Amino acid sequence: MNSFGRNLRSGERLVASVESDRQHTRAPLRVALPTALRVVDVHKSYRRRGIEVPVLQGVDLHINEGRFTSIVGQSGSGKSTLLHLLGTLDRPDRGEIWCDQQRIDNLPSQQRERLRNRTFGMIFQFYHLLPELTTLENVMVPKMIEHSVWRFWRHKRTIVERATTLLERLGLSHRLHHRPSQLSGGEMQRAAIARSLMSQPSILLADEPTGNLDRQNGQLVMESLLSLCRDEQLTIVMVTHDESIAKQADHRVQLVDGRVACA
Amino acid sequence: MYTLLLSWRYLRTRFIALASIISVTLGVATLIVVNSVMAGFVHEMRHRLHDILSDIEFDAGLGELSWPEHHQACIQEILGADMEASTMIVRVPALMTFDFRGRTMTQQILLIGIDEATYGRVCEIQPYLSNRHKQQLLNFFLEVDGYADKIGECGWGYRREKELLIREHSAWGISAQHQQREQEFAEISARLAGAPVEPVAAAARQMTADPAAMQLPDRVPNLDELAAGQEALSGRPFGDDDLQPFDSRSQYRPQPTADELFDPMRDQHTGIILGMAIANRKVIDQETNEVRDVFLLRPGDDVRVTLPTAGENPAPVAENCTVVDFYQSNMHEYDSTFAFMSLRRLQQLRGMIDPVTGECSVSAIQIRMKPGAHLDRARDKLIAELQPEYWGFVIQTWQDLQRPLLSAVNMELTILNILLFLIIAVAGFGILATFFMIVVEKTKDIGILKSLGATSRGVMSIFLGYGLALGAVGTGVGIAIGLVFVARINQIADGIGWLTGRQVFDPTIYYFSKIPTVVDLPMVVLVGLGAVGIAVAASVLPALRAARMHPVEALRYE
Repeated sequence: MNSFGRNLRSGERLVASVESDRQHTRAPLRVALPTALRVVDVHKSYRRRGIEVPVLQGVDLHINEGRFTSIVGQSGSGKSTLLHLLGTLDRPDRGEIWCDQQRIDNLPSQQRERLRNRTFGMIFQFYHLLPELTTLENVMVPKMIEHSVWRFWRHKRTIVERATTLLERLGLSHRLHHRPSQLSGGEMQRAAIARSLMSQPSILLADEPTGNLDRQNGQLVMESLLSLCRDEQLTIVMVTHDESIAKQADHRVQLVDGRVACA
Repeated sequence: MYTLLLSWRYLRTRFIALASIISVTLGVATLIVVNSVMAGFVHEMRHRLHDILSDIEFDAGLGELSWPEHHQACIQEILGADMEASTMIVRVPALMTFDFRGRTMTQQILLIGIDEATYGRVCEIQPYLSNRHKQQLLNFFLEVDGYADKIGECGWGYRREKELLIREHSAWGISAQHQQREQEFAEISARLAGAPVEPVAAAARQMTADPAAMQLPDRVPNLDELAAGQEALSGRPFGDDDLQPFDSRSQYRPQPTADELFDPMRDQHTGIILGMAIANRKVIDQETNEVRDVFLLRPGDDVRVTLPTAGENPAPVAENCTVVDFYQSNMHEYDSTFAFMSLRRLQQLRGMIDPVTGECSVSAIQIRMKPGAHLDRARDKLIAELQPEYWGFVIQTWQDLQRPLLSAVNMELTILNILLFLIIAVAGFGILATFFMIVVEKTKDIGILKSLGATSRGVMSIFLGYGLALGAVGTGVGIAIGLVFVARINQIADGIGWLTGRQVFDPTIYYFSKIPTVVDLPMVVLVGLGAVGIAVAASVLPALRAARMHPVEALRYE
């Protein structure tokens, strides 16, 4: 489950993969892969000014471990909602979500927070870095949340080293002590990827990671993600409305009106 | 960890919140200044009240206390080792009359007869006397020197010079009067005889009406003649030796008997120590704007004290007294009424000494306890043993005696503190509003933190920590400003006075030359904790709101 993290600790493979991902060729699909995430008949609706707006109307989905899955669909098709449900940021009205043989949609909030901190890594369209913190501090936030003050200070050197290594691998070694406002969009998104990898998650959830970037930067981010999936066997679920981006994934799931149209 | 980091970063980057904390700073500074000045006043006041009132007073109530030595022994037995000393006093209201520039002035005083030997051990009187010799040894003799400079001319030298002047002037007065009488007699005689009025008489009238035109009469004695007269009267030559200072403490000069003529040049009447405010008026000089002392009486002047005798039929008795010193406790209430006299002499005057047995009676016994002794407990013990209410006696501690004043001051202090704390409470609402705005501004950050696994409690503690940091900074600065203000309060008061043209602190009202301050450390700590508490309390609601935010809604917030 934490193979990516274990590999990263050796500190070599990611850098190699990031550098080599420009020439990568797609690996053949494996058969009968274990399921990382399973969504069973999930319904979700929002109430807006007293009117119930259905978003997801019975979604069934299997996401294979170590694969790159993209979820596409038009605006309002419910793809972001599905991603939030997968990342335990929200609870479905009906249905079940399973992760690693464990049902996660009805967990108490303490365990859900733990899942978000250790099992899932999340990246967003608008990067969502904390503006008051430097790039390095932003990357260390998951560890700060995980540890108490005392534990953090005891392991501070290791944590800083790890965050620095991650940022170096993603080509941000010159931006360690800059504030997010001093970074470009692509740099911010790469910093966000580094942050999402800090806790050695087994599943990476990406909500339109290239949506706010130009084509070149978007491709750079995509390549980083692809290499993570390929070389570290990290399970990635990405929401996008850009078909050209979606095509690069191993699986493509299309949502139409809150239902899976084709997988 | 992230809570501390974010609280600290918010503190450094959100200056609007620092602005909201300025009211906390001002409130804290004001509270510290007001409390320190009030505590200074109260401390000075209690100190002075306590000094003059002794620890416990056994008061004879409206009557007199017979057998005081017996009572003293009883008290000593009851209090045992806790008692330090005791003394007897006689207190009686009296009228004091004196001449000032030819006008007779009358002043009501509270005459207190004190025992020179023991009074100083029970009540602090000596530090408040003007004469430095009397500060060492309490007595009722006029001194030659040692008086405070501000009194100016006083003591034996002043008394003698004044006496010489009086004699000179009275000699003038007699001769002028006599001449006028003679002229009037001549006028009347001439009118009766039908003769015209001689022009001499008119000239004489004019002469007496206009002192400037008046010539010295032939019969004005000069100083040599006066000295000769003295020599003849006292039977010994009057020389320069008599003007030499002599140590009045070295020997007691008894009141002159009928056959021995009282000579103000050499003798004093019964010594009396007056409260400073009886004899002194403080006036503000219109030109220089400085406070100036005007003395109606000085040590060396004679006054007349009229007081009622003790017993069934009180009758007024008058006694000539000589002012020997001033008493200045800076408590206006005391300084404007108290006058001290020898206990023995006052007992004689009031007829408080039994002519047959020689037993004296007194008004009260004052008791000094050892340091650290519990006054209320000692008072209760005395009351239980002596049953004072049966005889109409009153046993009170000094705090009981001044309870109305002390409780009024305490009440004032409490209300002032409540009002000033309301300032900080108002500041709390400012913090509340600012924090709500910051929480709204930080909605997205809250969503990010929650998506990264931050707990609601963690998010809440960011804002509580922020409130705590703001409160601590505001309070710290407030305490610093307050303490500096207190340390420099007199200079600041002078500065404000100079700026506004009005005196902030008027020494003529308070009888303090400077504003007294006492910084009470527990008070400072309490004010600090209160202010920080209010800042944290004001951040609770916004922090709760932040904690309850839904992560998805927070992330979507624009």
